[in-house]
Amino acid sequence: MIAVTMKINGETRTASVPPETTLLALLRDQFNLTGSKLGCDVGDCGACTVIVDGKCVNACLILAAQADGRDVLTIEGLATLERLHPVQKAFEDNASLQCGFCGPGVIMSAKALLDENPDPTAQQIRDALAGNLCRCTGYTKMIEAVQDAARILRAERAPASQS
Amino acid sequence: MRAFELAVATDAAHAVALLAEHGPSVKVLAGGTDLLVELKSASHVPRVVVDISRAADLKGIAVTDQGLRIGALVTHTEILRSPLIREMFPALADAAHTIGAVQTRNLATLGGNLVTCVPSMDSGPTLVALDALVTIAGPGGRRQLPLTGFFVGPRKTILKPEELLVEIIIPRENLGKPANFQKFGLRKGQALALVNAAASLWMDWERNVCVAPRIALGAVAPTVIRAPAAEAYLEGRAITPEAMAEAGRIAVGEARPISDFRASVEYRRDLIAVLTRRALANAYARAVVAREGEIK
Repeated sequence: MIAVTMKINGETRTASVPPETTLLALLRDQFNLTGSKLGCDVGDCGACTVIVDGKCVNACLILAAQADGRDVLTIEGLATLERLHPVQKAFEDNASLQCGFCGPGVIMSAKALLDENPDPTAQQIRDALAGNLCRCTGYTKMIEAVQDAARILRAERAPASQS
Repeated sequence: MRAFELAVATDAAHAVALLAEHGPSVKVLAGGTDLLVELKSASHVPRVVVDISRAADLKGIAVTDQGLRIGALVTHTEILRSPLIREMFPALADAAHTIGAVQTRNLATLGGNLVTCVPSMDSGPTLVALDALVTIAGPGGRRQLPLTGFFVGPRKTILKPEELLVEIIIPRENLGKPANFQKFGLRKGQALALVNAAASLWMDWERNVCVAPRIALGAVAPTVIRAPAAEAYLEGRAITPEAMAEAGRIAVGEARPISDFRASVEYRRDLIAVLTRRALANAYARAVVAREGEIK
């Protein structure tokens, strides 16, 4: 067994896991954070996308032991009791999800993009979401939602003195 | 995944010691995007996996006495964002950008892509076209060899079980050499290349001819290959649309493509000619832009 300690959604968590445990299995089975989905389990579908040290990764392709000491953000870390994250709100407002299984992964990819690039082009959004498969929507409403979220986040970040 | 023991290496020397200690069936874990997929489907997993992902001396991109040094653990995202690489070799950044998707590029490493050694690897051709060398560490010390000699066959490199790929070096004399990478896949994201190609060349502007042209092709032979006859044809020749097209046609005869579920051999032959010509044309365009920058 390997002892791991990592920050998950801002909270320090520890666990003892067999070496072959993936970060995804740790999140879902030990920490009950089931927002990150187990889809293909081979890094093709993106349903397990989480943000580790600021970069989005497939949680199914990283061992829990490799995430030891790192900062992990999952879909559960975005909303507060008071409000959804602007990316989540934009997905809701645009009806960007249908069955929703891919949603947590798509939203984490979008969040990672907007953290680094507050004003992405449609092509940059497509590139950022290329690792997230959705079999319902055709992606168009997702791309519109990311553009809306980008606008909202830019307005929130803009200094108030501009008015 | 079946159970294995994880040995965490602190640096390259430690990794080599761990490989020697645990014997020939041991596997090396870097970015994990190939290895974990393999281990999940394997009926037998190695008893020990050596995790090198925290070895700091296998990371970093820098210009050294030898040339541009890229640590084996550098990720594709790090390559495509590196200001040094974008300035000297945008073709390498372009190639990195065609690999997998954001999530995989954030994890997967250049060394891993070369060691896994699938014929369609997208990081191989540009490096081969730039005469890249690799440094291998083993129990007896380090050795260096051309990247072309590193590839042996599909999923097979020259690495011995107790050896580790440490770094990739683009030799000093090739720093800034105009190059270009072309890939044809069936989608933009997460697609393997049906064919990929890279070209590099210097221009002798006094004589207006090309010098030291290199053409590398992927997914058309058991490993990434050079196209030496096409290169010889171009050496000392003016770079005209006709010459580039002819080099593409010659390159077709140097490859050994196969038919598979992604593309037929005929289609791959057509792609070799087209992608070789495009790679040459874009490398030449870059040489022109570089020269205009110097003249100003």
